[in-house]
Amino acid sequence: MNESIQLQLEKAPNRKAYLSTIALILLALLVWSVYGVNLSGFDQRGTQIASNIIRGIINPDLDFLFNLTSAGVPYLLFETMAIAFLGTIFGSFLAIPISFLMSPSVVSAPVAYVTRLIVIFIRTIPSLVYGLMFIRVSGPGPYAGVLTMSLTSIGMISRLYVDVIENLDRGVLEAMTSMGCTTFEKIRYGILPQLFSSFLSTTIYRYDMNLRDASILGLVGAGGIGAPLIFAMNSYRWSEVGSILIGLVVLILIVELFSNRLRSRLVKG
Amino acid sequence: MIEFKQVNKTYPNGVTALKNINLSIEQGEFVAIIGLSGAGKSTLIRCINRMHDINDGELNVNGVNVSKLRGKQIRAFRRKVGMIFQSFNLVTRTSVLNNVLISAVPDLAWWRKLLGLFPEQHKVDALEALDKVGILDKAYNRVDQLSGGQQQRVALARTLAQNPDIILADEPVASLDPVTAKVVMDDFKRINKETNMSILLNIHHVELALEYADRVVGIRKGEIVFDGKATDVTQKELDMIYGSPENVPSMDDPEEADV
Amino acid sequence: MKLTWYDKVFKPKTYTLSNGKEVKQRASRTPIVLVVVLLVTIISFEVTGVDLSLLRTRGHQFFVILLAMFPPNADFFSSIWGPLFDTIQMSLLGSILGAVLAIPLALLSSSNIIRNVFINGLFKFFLSVLRTLPTIVMALIATFLFGLGTMAGTVAIFLFTLSYIGKLMYEHIENVDMGAFEAHESMGLTKVEAFRYAIVPEILPTYLSVSLYAFEGNIRHASILGYVGAGGVGLLLDERLSWRDYPSVGMVLLTLMLVVFVIERISEYFRMKLT
Repeated sequence: MNESIQLQLEKAPNRKAYLSTIALILLALLVWSVYGVNLSGFDQRGTQIASNIIRGIINPDLDFLFNLTSAGVPYLLFETMAIAFLGTIFGSFLAIPISFLMSPSVVSAPVAYVTRLIVIFIRTIPSLVYGLMFIRVSGPGPYAGVLTMSLTSIGMISRLYVDVIENLDRGVLEAMTSMGCTTFEKIRYGILPQLFSSFLSTTIYRYDMNLRDASILGLVGAGGIGAPLIFAMNSYRWSEVGSILIGLVVLILIVELFSNRLRSRLVKG
Repeated sequence: MIEFKQVNKTYPNGVTALKNINLSIEQGEFVAIIGLSGAGKSTLIRCINRMHDINDGELNVNGVNVSKLRGKQIRAFRRKVGMIFQSFNLVTRTSVLNNVLISAVPDLAWWRKLLGLFPEQHKVDALEALDKVGILDKAYNRVDQLSGGQQQRVALARTLAQNPDIILADEPVASLDPVTAKVVMDDFKRINKETNMSILLNIHHVELALEYADRVVGIRKGEIVFDGKATDVTQKELDMIYGSPENVPSMDDPEEADV
Repeated sequence: MKLTWYDKVFKPKTYTLSNGKEVKQRASRTPIVLVVVLLVTIISFEVTGVDLSLLRTRGHQFFVILLAMFPPNADFFSSIWGPLFDTIQMSLLGSILGAVLAIPLALLSSSNIIRNVFINGLFKFFLSVLRTLPTIVMALIATFLFGLGTMAGTVAIFLFTLSYIGKLMYEHIENVDMGAFEAHESMGLTKVEAFRYAIVPEILPTYLSVSLYAFEGNIRHASILGYVGAGGVGLLLDERLSWRDYPSVGMVLLTLMLVVFVIERISEYFRMKLT
């Protein structure tokens, strides 16, 4: 064989050891976790309940599903939407200053790092713990839900905002410098138009997620459709469970459809 | 009139970009600056509107000593010098008209600036600038829906709306396909003839440079090695500018170091 | 210019250029959007009973529990690590199973791999519906089916991961450039071989990175599943919170934060290597 070819062949990166180590670790982790989880199949009771849930979904409580008073599914969903909406609005406004403080291209590296740590701190506390804390402020009900959503949205929104800020097109700013624009003018006409639609798109995306998350706040009494769902399940009223699940799935699918359309219009113009 | 007198420029990292530049360009000239990547073409152009500072020598633009300008004066001076970039440098997420209107921003009252409310006259001016480069019908489209050639014409309209005396263009057609490049060069030529604006452009396409420019300036390693009529440029001059024949860059090499 | 109903209500403005040309500018949509957003906000305030002045007068109450967590009860750590491992094991198993099963589902949903609109639509719909259900609701249902414990949590995480990775992957697969696939087929490779050498290298890095990201998120999700009895550290949180043993809650949260931080760093490191 030609010598230079031989040399080049030997240069081929040898990743076998690396890859097999990772595969081995992964396998060990899998075995460890299988060992840790109490695997249990359906027992008699489980099968019974599964069929009950399916029967509930096929045969929902129609009165409950279409009851327009404040005790019916439509109102509960409406309340969940309102909680998610306000939570998203507050969260996205709070995220604006935080995201600037998190961007290494805006503030110095230590400031950005400290802000990042604080955000990780905020993000790791489970929403239900916030729910309990806020219930002390506002009493149980949707208000506590809104406050919780505002805080839990910050983490993800600010992270996505930072991506937008870091990816700003600086060419526009160069062009505006060459046109004799001041710093204020550059921010107002060069940066804001770039940020606005991306920020809005992120916010709409987060609304989708918040709507899903808002349905769990009921667990601690912070409003929304979660509480009625748990009550219905705990008292084995499966047709009510069916009504709530149908309502929730349909609502979230519709909202997702709309928000996807809105966001692609924002991106494509 | 642009006058370089013994201009030198060295970057903080020690790279000498311009050496003993003496150059004088009359109002209304169409000048192409050619040379290898890194020869100092971009630097030369950017010194004219003070995007870069010169180290010594004197640079006068329309009787103003550019190095002496400070803060506000620089901004006022730049209003009369338009600039076009290889990458267009537009706000892609807003309409064509809004981009052109940016040229009017420095002249607005502060509250209009804040709210983005432009007087009707400015809008008409912006639309007329778009009409001059033939994309009036795209006024309300978003920039990211336009082709590269159209985007460069938006940038040109933005500069025209500024009504400058001089247009500096840094590789204006390097990102465009040959046909679109010609269309944009035609725009430059027409504007040069109709409005008597001076046009200075850096360009890699030697053929385009010779076809459109009246005067060609060749730069090599920061020095002017050729300055004359486009019709006088032969293979001999090109060898001088680009070094040996093997070094002539391919005609549409889009890469240009920013030095 | 196509006129919509909006342009018929709010007439476009006309500008005349000096050369006589006329340009029509549509009335801006911004005012109506602002009005709608404002209205929705007002209605939401009404429905949720949000009263911002309450934040000023009672806002400090928020910090009561938070401050009570300090100093965290370090002795409690010995009771934490058991449930914490449960949480990690639940998320690991759920994530791995979900990630593996997501592959066939994503392939079945991709119109450029399985050329059957009906099958694509069916699986896409299945993934969307699965995605709509919040993890904790799935966990709740799972506790009814499998009884209280880690199994229910694992199932919930498995289903969530499945839907999440499945959706992201079919979107990615559908956007893969099929040129290389075509080229390989033209060289005489079979469809399966062409898939292996053209599509797999394109989607593998994304798949691994998305899976890691899902695992990161799952650790955080898993910590609340205990609330509905689906095992793990959430069980402990729920118990201590109801006993108002806040220093222990503080310790749980602190440990959780450290674990999440470490796992995120590791996962971020590998994701950076992948892209």
